[in-house]
Amino acid sequence: MISRSVASWLLGALVLIAFAVLAAPGTSYSNQDRDLPLAASSMRHPAGTDALGRDRMVRVSAALLLSLAGATLAAAATTLAAAAVGALSAFSPALLGGLIILVCDVFLALPWLFLLLMVRSALPLTTSPAHSAVVTFLVLAALGWPACARAVYRGAVHLRDAEWMLQARAAGLRGHQIAHHIMPNLYPLLLPQFLISIPAFVIAEANLGALGLGIGEPLPSWGGMLFELDNSAMLVSTGWVYLPIALLIVVLLLIESIAAEVY
Amino acid sequence: MRAAIRLLKRLFRTLAMVMLVMLGSTILIRFAPGYFSDSREMDARYASAARAELSAEAARNSSLNQTLLNEISAWKRGSLGLSREYEVPVVELVEPRLAVTGLLLLRAITLGWMLSLCTALVSSAGHHLSLLWHAPAALLLAVPTAAMATICLLAGSGGPVLVMTLLLAARDFKFLDRILRKAWRDPHVLQARAQGIPTLRLVVAHIFPNILPQLFALATLSLVTALSTLVPVEVIFSVSGIGQLAWNAAMNRDLPVLLAVTMIMAVAVTFAGMTSNSTAKLQAV
Repeated sequence: MISRSVASWLLGALVLIAFAVLAAPGTSYSNQDRDLPLAASSMRHPAGTDALGRDRMVRVSAALLLSLAGATLAAAATTLAAAAVGALSAFSPALLGGLIILVCDVFLALPWLFLLLMVRSALPLTTSPAHSAVVTFLVLAALGWPACARAVYRGAVHLRDAEWMLQARAAGLRGHQIAHHIMPNLYPLLLPQFLISIPAFVIAEANLGALGLGIGEPLPSWGGMLFELDNSAMLVSTGWVYLPIALLIVVLLLIESIAAEVY
Repeated sequence: MRAAIRLLKRLFRTLAMVMLVMLGSTILIRFAPGYFSDSREMDARYASAARAELSAEAARNSSLNQTLLNEISAWKRGSLGLSREYEVPVVELVEPRLAVTGLLLLRAITLGWMLSLCTALVSSAGHHLSLLWHAPAALLLAVPTAAMATICLLAGSGGPVLVMTLLLAARDFKFLDRILRKAWRDPHVLQARAQGIPTLRLVVAHIFPNILPQLFALATLSLVTALSTLVPVEVIFSVSGIGQLAWNAAMNRDLPVLLAVTMIMAVAVTFAGMTSNSTAKLQAV
């Protein structure tokens, strides 16, 4: 695989290109060119248009930024929640700690995709696209923390039993003073968990969207664009319909490369 | 005696988890903002009186206690609730599809395991060309299930079993390769290799017995992975299994069906192995 720095540069370049495409004057992901539905590549639309005449390049750029931003925020929320829960369960009395871990196990036993389907389908029928995007990533964050919390719990237990911790307690350090030393020591554990969560959430959003239960139209999303692959007429007319899936795979491989080296 | 107590404790914990999963799923769905939205209320074919009756029925069952009681009594009767869309007991919808899904899972998991075990054995035994094995696995894991299924369908080659097998094999390979690499480096294995014991005998007599607990742990994880790929695969290939039923229920807001399917899946995962222990064993690698 490619090195972490090369992967970071390539990912950064892709994000910058996406910003540049969206920042061009007169572009919007919902703009329709009604005279040119399913258009092939041209100067005006370098990657062609979709069935509604919307520029595919602009939509893919917006989907890239939306998906990465949403997945990163969800991964950050997951990691923070996992850090809090894991540390709390390790440093609280045994009964409370055991109960917290039992709750983690309950969440781990739930099949997440079915749960996502259940929660997503139980949203009001009038949910706006922006709300659907927020809810999708919120639900992903809400379901992603238990596995990470278990890993943090094991790390925190290791810290709790460490000799320097015993020394700190014997020296009379208070709870908040000890907590001050816990988080920096958990950082090497939290960073890989955060990085691993990002591609997992991007894929989950794409799968949900492809089932029609992800981010609502007209907001662009990977899943929504994978829908286009169902239209065989479109596949015959242009090869650009494969652009979203190709870009998605590249982005995921780049994130995986960054995560693999940290892990 | 101690083993029996440990087994009982484990069984008690599993049962407690099943109860908590059922309780948690019901509470989650009850407090979802669209719980009271029923697509039948917008169906013009229903008379206004019928629609009013639907609203009244929803209001009657609005409290959490009532929802839980309804759910428990439906499970006690063995009907698993009443489908809002088809107006038949959920069990009638689930029963014929269980066999289809079960067979699909069994074939995919078996083939996935065979493929990943063979490739991991070859990959871990030699230090050269590891990229040859890791690159396809990474590529397969980067493709969303729905996209892979659609591409297979368009290409006219491969079916649901192939898609699930490839994804499972890629995921399991990552773990198996790491487990096996560690096993090959064990001092007694190194000693046996130095003494010239044939590789096949080494694998059968020393490697596999050493990694057996981790393989059991991985089996549980495989089931969880397979369940997460079930919905897109069954929907795209039109396999009339549990995943397709769940998707139909989600699209038509048939929450009783969705709740029953989620709970069946959760119970299956819980009984397949204590996930927490499994994950712990694998993360220790």
